Amino acid sequence: MAIEYWRNRDRYYRLIGSRCQNCGDEFFPPVYRCRGCGSEKIVDKEMPKSGKIVTYTRLHEPLPGFEAQAPFYLAVVELKNGARVLSQVVDSPDESVKTGARVKATVRRMKVDGESGQIIYGYKFVVDR
Amino acid sequence: MGKSKVYIASAGLTKVGDHWSKSILDLSVEAARGAIKGAPKVKPEHIFVGNMFSAVGSSQEHLGAMVASALGLAGTPAFKVESACSSGGSAVNLATSLIRSGAIESALVVGVEKMRDLEPEETSKALAMAESADYTQFVGATFAALNGLLARYYMEHLGVSRDELSSIPVLDHKNAVTAEHAQFRKAISPEVVSRSSMVADPLRLFDCAPVGDGAAAVLLTGERRAAGSKRRMAEVLASRVATAEFSVYERKDMLEFGATKSAFGKAMSDAGLSPKKVSLAEVHDAFSVVGALSLEAMGFSKRGMGARDAKEGKYDQGSSMPINTFGGLKARGHPVGATGVYQVVEAFMQLTGQAGLNQVEGVEYAVTQNVGGVDTTSAIQVLGRAS
Repeated sequence: MAIEYWRNRDRYYRLIGSRCQNCGDEFFPPVYRCRGCGSEKIVDKEMPKSGKIVTYTRLHEPLPGFEAQAPFYLAVVELKNGARVLSQVVDSPDESVKTGARVKATVRRMKVDGESGQIIYGYKFVVDR
Repeated sequence: MGKSKVYIASAGLTKVGDHWSKSILDLSVEAARGAIKGAPKVKPEHIFVGNMFSAVGSSQEHLGAMVASALGLAGTPAFKVESACSSGGSAVNLATSLIRSGAIESALVVGVEKMRDLEPEETSKALAMAESADYTQFVGATFAALNGLLARYYMEHLGVSRDELSSIPVLDHKNAVTAEHAQFRKAISPEVVSRSSMVADPLRLFDCAPVGDGAAAVLLTGERRAAGSKRRMAEVLASRVATAEFSVYERKDMLEFGATKSAFGKAMSDAGLSPKKVSLAEVHDAFSVVGALSLEAMGFSKRGMGARDAKEGKYDQGSSMPINTFGGLKARGHPVGATGVYQVVEAFMQLTGQAGLNQVEGVEYAVTQNVGGVDTTSAIQVLGRAS
């Protein structure tokens, strides 16, 4: 399944989302049509790398492939441009992971995929102290 | 509204739980035969099988033709219907719509899920397929994780307490004690919920519907074939499906279940009913927080009051609008693609006086609400007594 990750490399490594050329709204994950104004004039746009935690959970039973990382934090992060990303929050003391905490994006190892053991990289956030 | 009225002529179901000795086809046939025996004169013109993950769970697709053939109904058009956990409710909607339009006069709807053959982490993976592979599964999030995020947001924004949230699983378990087809027939206290193991903070094990096998079926018929035998039937007054922004974290207001709100509003309008007339609701509480937000989306509770109202007894047996009268998703169980059909079977049992010890007296109108994803798809049925 490695090919699906290759397709998304810019999205995963640089947080490339969408910008509506009509109203200026920005989105991550990318969209095909603006959720605000309905325009289909959508272009790729690199997202800001900082934001704040809107809500979070500490997941004890993750998906297969993520067991070694559990328990870990997952948060809805609202970026500076208003886009909302679902992401892990890592390398941050437990007491710092809370609603409203400022976070910044980093590139991290997500999981090891398939029999060939390909390492999949992607975005995770850390609390900005 | 279309040409024909739509009736539920009969229903069948299996107990929900561990069916180690039965395959997905065994379960489907058992439930379907129960329905067919109840109305032998109604020959289904179409068959719809609501199911979410037979490919992953049983290495089996093509369930429509497979079920038709096993029932001796080869030749009948037959389809699998998938919309994650709302597959069953969606299947009922499609069958109902075709009958109402006059295109067909009868249909068999089966909802089935075979979950227990999988390891727990394989089940998590299968359920997570209801959410985005590229942006939700990719970060390791399970379906429970999304509901955990939502539960924290709900509690923090609207000041809902742990105990209030617990009242929904407590209600479910209480109602399931006397429900023969329920998976867990044991009453629990709020402490059982608040002390159970953490799944996705703040959601604990007893906030979450269990994993189980099961199948349920209804035989639907139009006006012509119902003539003369309506006494033991229920009428499907309205059936609506709506969808919402795909992932809950992409929505402007995560606390509004827009799919349920939209489908319920349209269904009430189709049926010409005020929500105040609803005397019973089967609510999709796959997680305690989902039950609360569903009650709010349908307007039975005000914003932030779904769990509180449950704690105050507003939805108990004996109240003016009991919910989850056989245990809901938490205690009757949640064999995902079958759940929406179980709800319809249960409403049918209530409306026709076949609910045994769980009978609610004087039921005029019943609503079933079946959700796929985090209210990404919602299927609403409004049932009434046949007349």
